[in-house]
Amino acid sequence: MSYSKDDLRDLFDGKLPWDKVKEIMSKPKDDDRFDKYIEILQQGVPWAERILLPLGEHLYVVEKGGERIVKCDCGHEFGDWRQNWKLGALIFARDDAGKLEEIYPGIRRPDPNLCEVREYYCPGCGSLLKVEAVPVGYPAIFDILPDIDAFYREWLGRPLPEEKKFRDMTYDVTREWGQRHRGSLQ
Amino acid sequence: MSEHKGIGEGGKTIKEMLEENDRLYRETGCYAGITEPRLLREDPVKGELFHCRIMASLISGREITKMISGSPLVREIAELCIGLYTPEGDNIAQSTGIQVHIRCMGDVIKWMINKNYEEEVGINDGDLFWSNDPSIGGAHPADIYDILPIFWEGELVTWVCTVIMEPDIGAVSPNCMPAPNVERATDGMRFCAEKVGFNDRLRRDIELKIEQSLDMPQIFLLDRKGAIAANVRVREEVKNFIREFGLDYYKRAIRELIEEERRNQIARIRQRTVPGRYRDVVCLECYMAEQPVSWLPGKQDTIRLVPMQMDILPSGRLVLDFEGTGEWGWHPFNITPSGLWGGLSISLVQTLSYDGRANLGSLLPCDLKAPTDSMVNPGQLRLLATSLIWGSLIDVFSLWLGMLGAAYYVRGFREEVFNLRGCAGLVLAGYDQYGIKRPLLFGATGYFGPGARGVCDGVDCGGAVFTPEPDMGNAEVWELFVPQLEMARRLDPYTVGYGRFRSGLGIPMVMMIHGTKLAIASSNTGSLSDGIIPNCGMFGGYPGGKRNSILIRNTNVQELMEKRQPLCHEVGHPADPEFKKRIKGELFHSHHLPPPREVHDGDMTIADFCSGGGLGDPIERDPGRIKADLDNGLATEEMANNVYCVQASFDEKAKEWKIEEAATRDLRQAKRRERLARGAPMEQWWEKSRQRLLARDLDELLIEMYQNSMKMSQAFAREFRDFWALPDDFTL
Repeated sequence: MSYSKDDLRDLFDGKLPWDKVKEIMSKPKDDDRFDKYIEILQQGVPWAERILLPLGEHLYVVEKGGERIVKCDCGHEFGDWRQNWKLGALIFARDDAGKLEEIYPGIRRPDPNLCEVREYYCPGCGSLLKVEAVPVGYPAIFDILPDIDAFYREWLGRPLPEEKKFRDMTYDVTREWGQRHRGSLQ
Repeated sequence: MSEHKGIGEGGKTIKEMLEENDRLYRETGCYAGITEPRLLREDPVKGELFHCRIMASLISGREITKMISGSPLVREIAELCIGLYTPEGDNIAQSTGIQVHIRCMGDVIKWMINKNYEEEVGINDGDLFWSNDPSIGGAHPADIYDILPIFWEGELVTWVCTVIMEPDIGAVSPNCMPAPNVERATDGMRFCAEKVGFNDRLRRDIELKIEQSLDMPQIFLLDRKGAIAANVRVREEVKNFIREFGLDYYKRAIRELIEEERRNQIARIRQRTVPGRYRDVVCLECYMAEQPVSWLPGKQDTIRLVPMQMDILPSGRLVLDFEGTGEWGWHPFNITPSGLWGGLSISLVQTLSYDGRANLGSLLPCDLKAPTDSMVNPGQLRLLATSLIWGSLIDVFSLWLGMLGAAYYVRGFREEVFNLRGCAGLVLAGYDQYGIKRPLLFGATGYFGPGARGVCDGVDCGGAVFTPEPDMGNAEVWELFVPQLEMARRLDPYTVGYGRFRSGLGIPMVMMIHGTKLAIASSNTGSLSDGIIPNCGMFGGYPGGKRNSILIRNTNVQELMEKRQPLCHEVGHPADPEFKKRIKGELFHSHHLPPPREVHDGDMTIADFCSGGGLGDPIERDPGRIKADLDNGLATEEMANNVYCVQASFDEKAKEWKIEEAATRDLRQAKRRERLARGAPMEQWWEKSRQRLLARDLDELLIEMYQNSMKMSQAFAREFRDFWALPDDFTL
């Protein structure tokens, strides 16, 4: 089972006719999907760093100077993929009735006493990267932390050079922020 | 030492068989110790034929039930499913339908085996068993499991089970899935894998018990007859298979089907996902303070966090961890581990193992970590009401589907990305239009919208993932069954989750009560989300908005009809809804768990559904799709302009919408500039939010919710403090 890159590109762009989409959904999956996927993504970005994995509609984990960083297709870089990229984003928190009603008017508005709808933007291009609806006070969710080395080594059989330890490094950043704002704990 | 000669293979008891099966799995990592599925591999055509024959028998059994049953839940929307099991209670194959129960029904068989039914109750050819006790296995007591052992020459070779959802199980009003109950007894009749018949016939005393205990015994008993007929049909087919393929082949092949599926499932996980850690969080809002419960400790409002972590391991195993989940409570929404497995099962069957071969093997590569005494594994379960486990379960596994979808997306299988959310509304009990007091459940599934797919919009009204056949049923049939008139069947643009691909839309249910002399309306919730909308927007898409349960009493509907003026046939614009504009009366609009209230003819109920999440940045949505939605009434000019940033105008002459391309480009660029201007650096927002926490400037319900999760889990408390850089001894 295999599909052409053109078909796959059309599939991702929502341009494939429904009967073909349905066929792709229902049939056994194509083993060469990932490599073609990466090729399609790589062709769609204006920079040269190698894409290791996508993390969303605009975000990719790329190889850069021996590091793996999160990068937007506009070129903005967020830092090590093991740190939640949201910490490097711009945030607009819909945390009162007025801001929520812009999206959710009237009776469809969540309760601002309980719920915050956070929008994370790319500081480079202003793309909306993620909308997060959570209770007020909940930490920014680290949605996806891929085990890239295990993936390339054990699942694809193509180990990456300079393997990195698989761990969540988000709190290294917040610890630093905590140091900077130490006075506010008093 | 027992002298009992077992009913299992070679005179073993089935308990011995179960223990041996478990040992073999532990020792080899392969189901039943089958390290080489030779039978299916040596003659794959024969194996395929064997499997197809099993599937055909299950599906035809299901169709037979639909012919016999009298309940609209079966006949109109097919709330049933049938599974075939090994003697040890492991699923071999399942029909279409409400497949969430497939693993749960196996849990009941294993419970019977472990409780030594073989010696102390007796398991014989033609025995009938019922179960609906979620503390043994299941998603709520309204789902009745009909279980039949299948023997061949005195040996138990297989089990068949049928599940049907019942509108009446003798619970407190509204009799089927009541919200105002916290104790076990208020759930209604509980069957703990009881033996209820011999020789394929129900015991007369059991029939009399049902007739004495239920308001609608005829529906319940007719459904049982349908289930028994289906089970007997499958049994006779199994005997035909054994005659045709041979007993040894049957016994080996049913186990090889499970082992083969286990291997295939690991292969699928490795083919379609990426190993790593995926996270999300669910909030379950359990508002019981207004409910008329008799166990007074249950009269309180709480919110419980359910943080979810899915680890896909390099081995291909998939682990779902609920560390940090808040404590169980006195309400009917606590989830059981068996229910979690059910949710996991349906999610995997719909998106990963959808080739018709799903069985226990689909779940063997998965592990669940449900902390003891949390809301997903309450130690007190046997004491608790379980009528609405289903609502919280949908909230949990719908977001889990989204996490699984993220794993598919990263790997490139975007067409499998999907999520959904549950629904809620009001349900009636009382006198029907024929003067009989009974439950008045309207249970159609085809009203609410799912999330977007990764490659296209979500299917309108296709959100009921727990059945592959979401169906509204015929309004005319429902109106014969319940004293309500359905006032609306219009897709509502504002139910949407916006995105490059939008969610499917839903149809809010607007009902007018008609033909009853007295009824009560109470909560019917398939979701514990209310003020906190589920986090189901994906990769820049928005979640659908808040859903609403609305009751209007003492309306002016009669007057409007006499004046031949419009009634209320849709919610309309949510900021100026039709029911406020057109209907005068006593309005009740609080949350998803309103207390029961008396209702009469002319009163109106509205179950206002919202959809799952959109996917991708809405300002990247193809303007052609927006035009199509505008032309079809599935979007409004307001949302096209404000959210999608499309300049659209209606061409009166051509009677269609036109998109102004240049103006649209400008609007979209302006939106990006606006975002860059109003977006704050995370550190700035983080410090502001941290100050709120330090000042305990949160709603009391949230403070208690966080305290509770921090008390339940040191790991959760540590991560919470680490994220906000709070002192080690910080508590809210």
